[in-house]
Amino acid sequence: MTTTAPPETTGPVAPRGGTDTWRGKSARTVADYAMPLLTVLVLLVASLTTDGFAETANFRAILISTAITGIAAVGMTAITLTGNLFSLGVGSTVVLSGILFLAVAGATGSVLLAVLAALGASLVLGLAQAVIVGAGLNPVITTLAFGAIIYGCVAVGTGGEVVTAGSVPVTWLATTSVLGLPLPVVIFVVLTALVSVLSARTVVGRRLRLLGDNRATAVTSGISAMTGTVVAFASLSVGAAIAGILSAAQLRQMQANDLPNLTLDVIAAVLVGGAAINGGEASAVRTALGALLIVILGNVMLLQGLSPGERLFGVGAVVVVLVVLLHLLRKAGTR
Amino acid sequence: MTEATPLRLSAEGITKTYGAFAALTDVTFELRAGEVMALLGENGAGKSTIVKILSGLVAADAGTVTIDGEPVTLTGVASSQAAGIAVVQQEYSTVRTMTVAENLFLGQRSAPWWWRPGRLVARSKAVLARVGLQDLDPRTRVEQLTVAEMQLLEIARVLARDARIIVFDEPTAALSDAEIVRVLEAARRLASEGRSIVYVTHRLGEVFEIADRVTIFRNGRSSAPLEVADLDVDGVVARMIGRELGDLYPPRSSGLGDVALEARGLVAPGFRAPVDLVVRRGEVLGITGQLGSGTTELIEALASLRPVIDGSLHVGGREVTLRNRRAGIAAGIAYCSADRKRDGIFPGASIRQNLSSPWVSTVARAGFIRSGHEGTATRTLAEEFAVDTTRLGTRVGSLSGGNQQKVAVGKWSGTQPDVLLVEEPTRGVDVGARADMYATLRALADSGMAVVVSSSDTNEVLGLSDTVATFYHGRPTAVRPATEWTEHDLVREVMHREEVLT
Repeated sequence: MTTTAPPETTGPVAPRGGTDTWRGKSARTVADYAMPLLTVLVLLVASLTTDGFAETANFRAILISTAITGIAAVGMTAITLTGNLFSLGVGSTVVLSGILFLAVAGATGSVLLAVLAALGASLVLGLAQAVIVGAGLNPVITTLAFGAIIYGCVAVGTGGEVVTAGSVPVTWLATTSVLGLPLPVVIFVVLTALVSVLSARTVVGRRLRLLGDNRATAVTSGISAMTGTVVAFASLSVGAAIAGILSAAQLRQMQANDLPNLTLDVIAAVLVGGAAINGGEASAVRTALGALLIVILGNVMLLQGLSPGERLFGVGAVVVVLVVLLHLLRKAGTR
Repeated sequence: MTEATPLRLSAEGITKTYGAFAALTDVTFELRAGEVMALLGENGAGKSTIVKILSGLVAADAGTVTIDGEPVTLTGVASSQAAGIAVVQQEYSTVRTMTVAENLFLGQRSAPWWWRPGRLVARSKAVLARVGLQDLDPRTRVEQLTVAEMQLLEIARVLARDARIIVFDEPTAALSDAEIVRVLEAARRLASEGRSIVYVTHRLGEVFEIADRVTIFRNGRSSAPLEVADLDVDGVVARMIGRELGDLYPPRSSGLGDVALEARGLVAPGFRAPVDLVVRRGEVLGITGQLGSGTTELIEALASLRPVIDGSLHVGGREVTLRNRRAGIAAGIAYCSADRKRDGIFPGASIRQNLSSPWVSTVARAGFIRSGHEGTATRTLAEEFAVDTTRLGTRVGSLSGGNQQKVAVGKWSGTQPDVLLVEEPTRGVDVGARADMYATLRALADSGMAVVVSSSDTNEVLGLSDTVATFYHGRPTAVRPATEWTEHDLVREVMHREEVLT
């Protein structure tokens, strides 16, 4: 974890940690490339051993699935970066956005209005959580409670029924190809690039990172914790809304109980992407790759005929192993 | 060892070095049964190191410790407790949400695994009475106690352990006069029971009030124990000071500019009297006082981290009201706290990003950081502050204390503030880097800033400042040009205000 600084030696003369040691450097290099290498490895092994994996249709399915999980995960990256841990309400927000999108599209016939409605609702809920978290409440508890409330409202509001857009065409959002890639994948790539550039190059992005690195220093340096938290939650809200819209467009229908494992997958993607759990370090690109890895794993296990329980077990095990490994490597890297 | 009273504790040849820094050199320390031995010395003289060795927190490099004639090895807190040594810490180790009775017996080796609450309360009453807390209900939650009661409870906890040697580590630092009396009484009562008391303090008055003998530390060496009855305040002060001002400090200001910061009748929580303060451009104002003297409160009020209740504040001639730290920064007041690890640095970020953190928006266009401009500006700052410019990408968390402090102070130079407030600028900074820090602060003052340095190190305050202001018990007590102070006067003023007044 980033907060455990090594004990300070009071000895003068020899400045500590002056140059990075060879071991520290190599540990960091391994930490940087462990996940991408693992993704490639899983791809290779799966292609050779799993029937039906290396087929165009399957790849397309994997990419669309990655896009939906990944868009939400890239949005979540900002929350983790600012030291606000995770939003446990992301799954229900995605479902709410999807259902709202379908319902408004069906009622008005306008896809644009439907998109705006989903985005608006997601943003309002996100900002409400941001204000509470920014005021000092624990983000995990706040978002867990909001997630439950949102799920409850959706379940009651839909009466447990499946919601569709009726005769209004929405599937094109998920199936249109741009440059040979499905639209969701293009949106995913563009969003990842955008978040990546914004967080690395802008004042706001820099402040989010510093806020996560040391909140107390940020406050004494004039960086507002509230503003940072609001920006981070807004980022997740946009991601969750888009993920919900694309998911609804792909399935053409949605109900309250859909996407039960999405929250886990999204958090897994962020963690596997090597974000520091306590904040200060996270990258949208690596989160996106993390989402890819998680989705491929799920896909391979599905093709291997594993049950949902076994698949969940597999994803959990991979997250634990990778996160422990990354943590150890990072610790070695800062010595 | 010709004294009639047998020695309770005798430590000989104690040596401890941290890296190349000798914290203790061949220190001899002794303690008789039933006496109060005061431990005096300036910051960094070695008091806290010997306390850490006795409490088992730190192992000595060399030397022997004998208790009641038996040689003991202090390898950890447990072995120290087993040898009959108990330490009353400065920081309270009580659990705030538990009751007084529960805290008393918390973590005790002799305690059974299950106590009936009634028995716990009955046992506590006897222990509490011995520290003068007989009127306190043992079922009270600790969070409801006053600071003095917490300190007494801390002592009672140690008593419940039945120690032969009790070390008090600045027990009265945060207490008022009336409360101090209760702590002193408790210490005296313990000594009269035949226990040996080691009393570490910065307050000379207390030494003369309760101690039988005093051991004075200076530059990591100890004096032979002196009978307090044979001493006076001047004699003690003269034995404590003795560090040379030497080349550590840069020359003082050649000329002062206009008033940069002016406080009139300033009142904030923690003050016991309104504060007036004037600092000019080019001036280094040193503020000094003990813990609880009001220096921390003043700096926090000026930094807008503490609400100002009354009075006015002018910065560069304009009256300002500061709601929060951001407003303070905007008004031209920069602030570095005493605890840089807590709120002075971003340990995971690079030197570059740390340096630019308060002013990064000034090198941005349309919200995008122009990395070229940021690089140039941070390189200039780094050169100014003697930070290695080839390592601007290094994580600040991996730097030495001195370099971290340079970064924590240096980042503010980029905002070009009117006033720079720095608390304890050289805490945890080694001697070589101290000189750099002093030169840096002086250079900032010369560039037109008003620099306010708050420090508990009187030598530092005297060597660095143009003007020195002293505080005692929440009140400003004296403001004079540094040239009109001697270190003797200053130490005396800070440690023993009443004597000076009468």
